[in-house]
Amino acid sequence: MKDDLMLEAFEARARRRDQRRGFLRAAGSMAVVAAGASLLSACDDDDDSPAPTPTPTPTPTPTPTVTDGDVLNFALNLEYLEAQFYYFAAFGSGLPSGILGGAGTQGAVTGGRQVAFTDPLIARYAREIAADERAHVEFLRGAIGTTAVAQPAIDIGSDATGAFSAAAQAAGLIPAGQSFDPYASDENFLLGAFIFEDVGVTAYKGASPLITNKTFLEAAAGILAAEAYHAALVRTVLYGKGVDTPSLRTSADKISDARDSLDGASDKDQGISPSGGASNIVPTDADGIAYSRSTGEVLNIVYLTKLAAQKGGFFPNGLNGSLNSSMAQ
Amino acid sequence: MTDDILAIETLERRAKRREERRDFFRTLGAMAAFGSAGFAASSQSALAQSAPSDGDILNFALNLEYLEANFYSYAVFGTPIDTKYTSGSGNAGTATGGRKVNFTDPVVAQYAKEIAQDEIAHVDFLRKNLGTAAVAQPAIDVGTDPNGAFSSAARAAGLIGGGASFDPYSSDENFLLGAFIFEDVGVTAYKGAAPLITSKTYLEAAAGILAVEAYHAGLVRTSLYRKGIATPALIDATEAISDARDSLDGSSDLDQGIANIGDASNIVPLDANGLAYSRTTGQVLNIAYLTNMATARGGFFPNGVNGTINMSAAN
Repeated sequence: MKDDLMLEAFEARARRRDQRRGFLRAAGSMAVVAAGASLLSACDDDDDSPAPTPTPTPTPTPTPTVTDGDVLNFALNLEYLEAQFYYFAAFGSGLPSGILGGAGTQGAVTGGRQVAFTDPLIARYAREIAADERAHVEFLRGAIGTTAVAQPAIDIGSDATGAFSAAAQAAGLIPAGQSFDPYASDENFLLGAFIFEDVGVTAYKGASPLITNKTFLEAAAGILAAEAYHAALVRTVLYGKGVDTPSLRTSADKISDARDSLDGASDKDQGISPSGGASNIVPTDADGIAYSRSTGEVLNIVYLTKLAAQKGGFFPNGLNGSLNSSMAQ
Repeated sequence: MTDDILAIETLERRAKRREERRDFFRTLGAMAAFGSAGFAASSQSALAQSAPSDGDILNFALNLEYLEANFYSYAVFGTPIDTKYTSGSGNAGTATGGRKVNFTDPVVAQYAKEIAQDEIAHVDFLRKNLGTAAVAQPAIDVGTDPNGAFSSAARAAGLIGGGASFDPYSSDENFLLGAFIFEDVGVTAYKGAAPLITSKTYLEAAAGILAVEAYHAGLVRTSLYRKGIATPALIDATEAISDARDSLDGSSDLDQGIANIGDASNIVPLDANGLAYSRTTGQVLNIAYLTNMATARGGFFPNGVNGTINMSAAN
């Protein structure tokens, strides 16, 4: 039995080997960009091949096309979205107006409302996450200073043509033309939260190498961690409730697939259904590492489009700031 | 309960953390003054004092992953990690004292197996990237002896009395508490190390491991919180363990249990800015060595960690 378990563990890892090679290829190409031998030259799938002495060489930063301010403002847009969703769900009202102004065109939030939670634990989770996301908004605004962007228009409503419904239709949770209401029940709230949380993790991870200021890098790592805790909370609760309500697990799997269909060919997303006797609370590649998304890939998901666009989905008028285009996939 | 009261509690929760928030902005202000104006300026000079190499940092992380991987491997498979993952420079040791948990809740068994696979993958990943520079697995104590690391940690937290032993393999609940001892520490370790990493590729990979440790910690904390409804002692135990960690790593509060704050849960340990905490390598070793003194061994690493970063901080 023990051998079976070990075998399953290795099979699970083997299934992800392609993705692993993807990382090593990426690392390899960066090593070419960098001068000389680096630690990366030790990246080899073969344990036994002698690796050159790995004296780590600082990899030159890729041509900085974006500033730290651009990256933090991009993050601020996402935090506005998350904070408003959780604030409405937990408290029935949005963020205070004093923390919404700034550069660009300020927009309104449409459609949020309070969830009548039946499980008091879910209500407490919602209040915790709402407070955390508001803290992120305020932190980023304070850190960016006078160039912080305003909150753009945000659609978190349950209209049949709105963003949540479009996402749920794309995932096959509901038929075309029907509406998905993330405020209707504990379960729908958790699935609504699931739509966002892993994306935040991949966004902060993907942006981490773009940040030059070490203080902001460490702060961004702290927000990344918070988003991963949130994502784990949501996934763990869906997984646990999925014992009695299996559709919660399959719905999460479908949302993951829908996200994957938007952000390009590579698999950067995973649902929560178990495989080989193990749960899948943590979406990771074969190296046990969380995925990255570029800013364009993140916007593919929040704009709900495979095309290069400047608006759509949860942001009907687009993001404020210079990083506002999704990628053509 | 009215929305007003909820809103007030939320504000109180944030007010309680206001001082920490001020600390961040003080630091930020000092760094802005140190560099040229504005945050666009690089502040790397502030970190210039004998910075460790990326290899030093990754090896430090590898020691911690050896510990986590062996704990979960024992709990799930009944064996330490495969010896093909343990060679390298420094003093090679074995991981002793663990055993398989006879899980009663199949969901907890599935969580344990998932985490075990992830932690073994981290060991493998770090070793491959370090190549011949990878440190060997040091001696690791994940046993249940009354004088062992788990029992010492549990005693320091007041979970058990003098001479008693804490066995993280004896039940689902004890396993989750054993996991709780490690998981948040891994998050703070990777976050604290993030600004020290110079290679952008490694930085992004380390951010990916940081995220996974936070997912693990979120999983463990959420499970304990849910089980804590029927068994409140579990929630009290996380507070006690958190306080014990805080008593080891210096005066600043870098740790939180899972007891409610107001009418909100506290699955995520964050400062007033909604940011996870950082620990220095020395503070991480205070916890892993179970000491508030500067030393090169102890606790879960009876012979110390391998590599150049091996000293706990004097607190």
